[in-house]
This record gives sequence, C-alpha cells and structure tokens, in this order.
Amino acid sequence: MPQTTRPRSRALRLLVPALLLATIACTGTPAGSTTDVQPPHNTSAPQVTGPLCAALPTGTEPGNPTFLAGQPVDQALRWIPTLTTFEAALRTSGVLADLPTGTGITILAPSDDAFAAKFSEDNWDDLMARHTDQLRTLLKAHLIAGAHPIDELVTAGATTTLDGATATVTRTGPTARLADRADAVCADYQATNARIHIINAVLGPLPTTANDTDHRAH
Amino acid sequence: MRPQRSTLIAVSALLAVTLTTAPSPANAQSAAEPNQVAALTVRQADGYATLAWQPVDGATDYQIERTAVDANGTPTGAPTIVGIWRPNRQINQGSPTFADSGFNPGDTFQWRVRARAGTTEQPYSAPVVAATTVPWGNPGTPGEQLRTQWETTHAAQYTSDTDEYAYTAAIDALSDRVRVVELGRTVQNRPVNMLVIGHPTPPATPAAVAATAPVAINCNVHGNEPGDREACLIMARQLAFSTDPRITDLLSHTTVLIVPTINGDGRAANTRGNSTGQDLNRDYSLIRQPETAAYIKMVRDYRPVAGYDGHEYGNSRAGDLPMLPPRHQNVAQPIFDQSQDMIEGHMYAKGAEAGWWACPYGCEGGGNVGLSEETILRNTLGLKNVANSLLELRSSGGQTRPDEGNTANNRRRKTYSALWTFHQFLDYHRADRGQILTSRAEAIEIQAANTGRLVFRGSRPIPAHPAPHPGDSPPPLDAPRADLILDNAPCAYRLTDEQYNGARTDGPGGVGTTVAQRIAAHGWKVIKTGDGWYVPLNQPERGLIPLLLDTKGVEKLTDGERIYPTLTGRRNGPLVVSGFTCAADATINGPVTVRAGAALVATGTTISGPVSATRAAGIVLADSAVNGPVQITSTTDAVSIIDVTIAGPVSLSGNTTGTDAPLLAGSTIRGPLSCTANSPAPINLGVANTVHGPRTTQCAAL
Repeated sequence: MPQTTRPRSRALRLLVPALLLATIACTGTPAGSTTDVQPPHNTSAPQVTGPLCAALPTGTEPGNPTFLAGQPVDQALRWIPTLTTFEAALRTSGVLADLPTGTGITILAPSDDAFAAKFSEDNWDDLMARHTDQLRTLLKAHLIAGAHPIDELVTAGATTTLDGATATVTRTGPTARLADRADAVCADYQATNARIHIINAVLGPLPTTANDTDHRAH
Repeated sequence: MRPQRSTLIAVSALLAVTLTTAPSPANAQSAAEPNQVAALTVRQADGYATLAWQPVDGATDYQIERTAVDANGTPTGAPTIVGIWRPNRQINQGSPTFADSGFNPGDTFQWRVRARAGTTEQPYSAPVVAATTVPWGNPGTPGEQLRTQWETTHAAQYTSDTDEYAYTAAIDALSDRVRVVELGRTVQNRPVNMLVIGHPTPPATPAAVAATAPVAINCNVHGNEPGDREACLIMARQLAFSTDPRITDLLSHTTVLIVPTINGDGRAANTRGNSTGQDLNRDYSLIRQPETAAYIKMVRDYRPVAGYDGHEYGNSRAGDLPMLPPRHQNVAQPIFDQSQDMIEGHMYAKGAEAGWWACPYGCEGGGNVGLSEETILRNTLGLKNVANSLLELRSSGGQTRPDEGNTANNRRRKTYSALWTFHQFLDYHRADRGQILTSRAEAIEIQAANTGRLVFRGSRPIPAHPAPHPGDSPPPLDAPRADLILDNAPCAYRLTDEQYNGARTDGPGGVGTTVAQRIAAHGWKVIKTGDGWYVPLNQPERGLIPLLLDTKGVEKLTDGERIYPTLTGRRNGPLVVSGFTCAADATINGPVTVRAGAALVATGTTISGPVSATRAAGIVLADSAVNGPVQITSTTDAVSIIDVTIAGPVSLSGNTTGTDAPLLAGSTIRGPLSCTANSPAPINLGVANTVHGPRTTQCAAL
C-alpha cells in the first residue's frame, strides 16, 4: 500500500519559508528557475511514494515533486538531491540528450548511496573518464521507453530497459522491487513526459567494486 | 610551541550574533529535577546554533532535541533528537557545547538537552527558543543580496559552474575588495578562478599580494566533495561586503586567496578525479595536469604563508571536522609545528567553544589515511614552507548527528562547519601572523642549509592530544621505510638535456609538459653548465626537489644524477671556479673567482676573501659566511643568497636570470648593498635581511 510522505499539515507550515524563498530567488542566478515554486492547487499533483520521499524536498520546498512535474526531465533530475551521481553521469554521457525528442521516458534512478555501495571511487572515475560506451550501457539499463507509473510496471510484471535487458518488477510490501535487486524507495516523480523512480541499487551486469570499509584518503 | 590563546576569545565573541534564552514558562519552574540539565543557552551564528549547558554528574552523554516553532513559540513540527554530545567531541569536557546545524537558516526553533546515564534518559532541561541566523547579507543591499544557487535552492542543488562564474563575477563587479583572476584552465577548458580579496582593495600584482603574507583556501579538489566549496562562495560574499570591523581588520592585514573550484570538470561530472580520471590531490608535486600546474604556479607567484584544503570524508565514525598538518618528514619542523599549533592550539580550542568537533584525521577507525604522499596538497604546501591543514567534512551524520537522513540537513551541516573553519583560519592567521612568518623564515633557512637526511616517504608522528584529544586514535605512525631514507644528501641533481627538455607522455591525452616547465612552475633555481642542468638542493624547497628528481623518489619525474660536494674541508689560496663546483662544510682561505659559464654552490662554508663572479651561470650560497666583498655581475641562470653572513659590501648588478628572480633572504650584510640593472629585480621571499650599510635602488626594500 503506498504511503504518503508527510502529514498534510506540513504543507501549511512550509508556506512561510516558501514565500521567503520566492523573494530571494530573484536575486541569485540559479540554473533552474525557482520562480514557479508555488504549487498549482489541482488534484493531479504528483504523489511520490516510498520511504526515502520524506528525506527529499516536500511541500513547497525548492525541488518539491509538484514543481518538478512542470520541468524537463534533465532539469527535474538536477533538483533531486540524492541523484547527484546518476544525474551527472546521464548529463556528461549524453544518454538523455540522444533520446528522440518528444518520446516518453521512465528513469529508474539509483541514489547516491546505491552508487556508493556499488562502485569504488576509482572504478567509478574510470567508468566516467575512460569507458564511455560501458557507462552508456550501464545508464541505459536504468531507462525504459515511455512514461510509466510504478504501478503500471508492477502490473506488467516485467519491463525492458534500453540496454535490451529484461527486468522483473514485483510488489514487495509497500514498494516495488526491480530485477529482484532494487527497491523503488521514492517512486512516481513526474517530469515533462517522464516518470522518475528512485531506486536503492544499481542495475545492470557490472561487478560490485565498492568496499565500504575502505574510505578513500583525502 | 603553544602560544597562549586567550587573546582570541574576544575575537570569537564577535562571531556570536545573538544570545537568547527562552521566555518560556519552563524557566519559571522552581526546583530542578535530579540530573536535569541546567543553564541551557543558545548562541546563533552563520548556519549553526551553539548550545551550552552545565554538565550533569554521572552523565554518559547528552541528547540535543530540536523542535520547529512559530513566532509565538508554538511547536509546528515534531520534536527530533538532532545531536548526541559525547565526551570525545571536545577537549574541555567540563563545559559541553554542541553546534546544532542542518536546519534552514532563519527558521525558529526550541531546543532542550537531557543527560543519559548509560542508556537511561534523565529529565530534559528547560527549553530555549530562538530564531536562527538568516543567510548572510541584507537582501536590500547591493552585493550583500547576492546568493548562491545552493542557498536559493535550500541546498537541493549545488552551485553549478556557470552559476559560480556569474556569482563571483558579480562580487568582483560590486566590491572594490575583490578581484577574480583566472589561474588557468581545466582539461575541458573550464576556468580555474581565484578570488583575491583585500581591504580597501587587493594589491595589484601577485608580487604585491605576496608582500601581504596571504592565506590560501583550496575549496574543491575532489569533484564529488562539494561542501567546502559552498562555504567558500558564501565567505567570499561576506569578505567582499561585510562592514564588520573584524572582517575589515582581517583584510587590512593580509590578502585572502580563495580558489573555489580547481577541479571544475570533476565537479560538473561529480567525480573525484578530473576529466582524465586523475585524482588531482595526487598530482600537486608532479603537476602533470593543467589544474594542479595552475595552482602550483599560483603558490609560486602569490606565495601564501598559510593554507587550508577542503574535502569530505566517508568515515561515518569520524568527528565533524578531521584535520591534519603536513606530515612528510622532509617538511621543516617549524612548518609542521606551526600547522599543528593551528589545528590543536586553535581549532580544537575554538571548536570546543563553538560546539564543532575538530579532531585528528581518522579520529575513530581512520585506517590507513593521512600519510606522507608529497603529491597531496597538504604535504606539497608544507614542503613549500606553507603552514597548512587538510579539512574534512564528515560525509554522513555519523554517530552524533542522527537527523541527517534528510539530504538538505546533511549538506547544510557540512557547509556551515566548513564556513566556521575558514573564518577561524583567518582569525588564526590574524592573531599569529608574526609567529607564522617566523616559522616560515626559519623553515626556509633550514631547508636551504641542506643538512640532514632526506626521506622519500614517511611521516612525522601525530601524538594523541593530551586532553584527551577529541578523537579516539591518532593517525597511523607511517614511519619511513629504511630504503626510503637517504642519509647522505647530495648537493644537487644533474639532468641531461633529454631529461630536462625532452617530450613527456604523462599528461592529458598522452602529452606532458617538460621537466623544465614543471621545475619552473615550482620556482626552483636551475643552472646550465657545459654538461647538463643542475638543480641545487640549497634552496627553500629542498625537501621537495629530491622527491621528484632522485632515483629513490616514489613518484618522481626523472632519475637525476646525484652530485656530491667537490670541495670540503680546508683549502688555502685563491680558488678559480670553472664548471660546477659544490662546496659543503668547507673553509676557503683566499679569494674566490667564478668564471663565465661556471657555477658555485655552497653550504656550511666560510670564505675568507672576496667572492666575485662575472657572467657566471649560477651562484647559490646558503648557511655560509663570506669575510670580504661579494660582487655578482651578469649571471645568466640563478642567483641565491640565503642565511649568509657577509662582512663586506655586496653588489648584484646586471644579472639577467630570465623569469627567475635573484634571491637574497635571511642574510646579514656588514656593508652597503647595491643592486642595479638586474632583470628581474632581486626578492627576499618575505624573509628580511639585516644590512648595516645603505641599501640602494633595486635592493632598497630587501
């Protein structure tokens, strides 16, 4: 059963900070527009679900799901604070930009913690700097043609990612589980022509190289 | 060396913005319950709130609770345990403090603190309520109103490259105190910018900045560790526009050099390394990459005397702010001691006042970190006689900040703890400027004397703090291996023309700059004589030279040939130098004449008689004495006189040494000093000379 992320009263007490933000947002020069931070009060506001959602911008905070729903997908990804690794990889590899314009997309977006649990820093830098083809294949293992709500993927029971692989999608308690490996920890972010589901593990066939007891020296 | 710190308390008090105790009915409660925390206060500063209370007998630790409230003090959110105070957080455990951070600056909160005896919770203190400090700068005042992308997005986004350029350009345009200079370009052609900040204006040239004993902050070398960079950008705005007397006083006594993003390509890609995958903090000695080369040339030209290097750290058991000095054993002892004084003498003490947990690198479960690679900026700077420290921001909330699952809370704590550290760094430099410069001068003279063994890898020990120190384990010993010690240091390294000027493949795309270019970037003296290029060791960076040029170097540029002294002991009668002559611990009774194209390198040597050189390739003297006049004319490659006592007049004239300025530092001249028609003009690296006679023309200020 999907769970809502915050008590409803939170939206009210966040209204004042949001108004303050609206006044200062005009003075800086952020890359993303923050002038549309007030959510439209309609019934189609996106309902993100999952245990991680509470730790992400909610209500009327900058980067809240309602605001992101009006953003192009590449911009929306930049607002989700736990996706810094994935977003930078998508951007620098050009995978998103290479997609045909106007087509819907579903993004299974591994969190920064997921990447940290998967790749050592050296391995990740090596992928980013020297193995672009391998990186692009890895990223395509997290993209699905068409904008699909998580429930739709669960109903289908399986999906094909853009690397050509098939991933099972099952319901495990309140969350969806992909490829028997990754849970959708905050599902159903919307962006223009897109759905974004944050997952807690990296998909695809690359080996795990992270060693969480090995902290890189400065 | 542990200078007293009491004078700094007044400075830090200025940092406190408000002091608020709650007007809550709780204060009116008459009798305290047993084991209830008493006298809770909160003091606001930029991005954090310092809670302080009276300790409870028998307490194992304390829990800090924060509750969002409205303007009337009515709770608007659930009470949350945001902090755990433990005895190892600070050196003076009788006065517990906790820097609560992570909240949205400007919001109002209620705080309570309770002790725990073991796991048994004791009664909460009476609450305190206060509004936290809003982001710095009046929104209606030009300049002050600027905000970073990170600030406007409430830490949902880091400041992008383009937003950084726009923000720093706006500061430059609106503040007379700030000049943004481009030090170089990244592999992908992003600018490596530096803010040069002084009051009322920054000095106009690098040499003029160098004369102010500047401080340097390197904010973001690892692209996936961006917390310090956001602090640097906020501090740049404060320094540029604040009318606080503390800020204008700081900027009137030094120049602040801030490099927000040396690794712009890695930041954009959120990778540790640059776009070639090179970890730039393993490249500051080798300078294979354009980013590190740009920084090292900056150090050569602007000559910072103190530095900080910002990072984040994945060890969740570490303190808030792990720090570490330059430990490489080739770093001169005064620089190591000064850096340790900055960390343990200043940061530990001020951290205990503000509630931040500064600690040695590693702290708990540190593992094999904090070692002696000279490729790390911390060590490179130490080997360049710069007192400095590593700064880590613990990546996760860790054991003492349980409310950082929320990404914004986590990011804000990291950035505002870095902001606190950088401000404390400036305060330390302001208070200890004289001692820092003395340490630097001593270090330069120690290095130039070229005495003692060379260590190719190996650290000085960091003993546990006696307080006990605010960590549980000091960094690993990291003593040098026997095969990485050279007891008999050479006088110089000789490189062949192929070694010196040959093409290299160790840079981006398989193209590297030459050894000649890298030595020039470091600013070392080089002398060309008939059979090769000589790099003498009696120079200020004596500890670094062998690491790059000796065959024992662990990460070296080339295998230079060790050249040992050719002249030791006593020698009577005139000496005519041709070729490359190295005197060490020698006594020369008689006049010395250096022929055209020849080089004289001397340490620990006494020369009784005049020294004259005309059209020599190089004259490099250190830790020596000359009883007689010294006349150096028309030298072609290098002139250096460090810690030399000269009983007689000194004349430097017509020396044309390319881009490398003649060096006259830390010397005593019992006679007149005349410098004319040298190109470039002589310098002293900020190490003054004592001259008993008149100083004229180019040497008037030396």
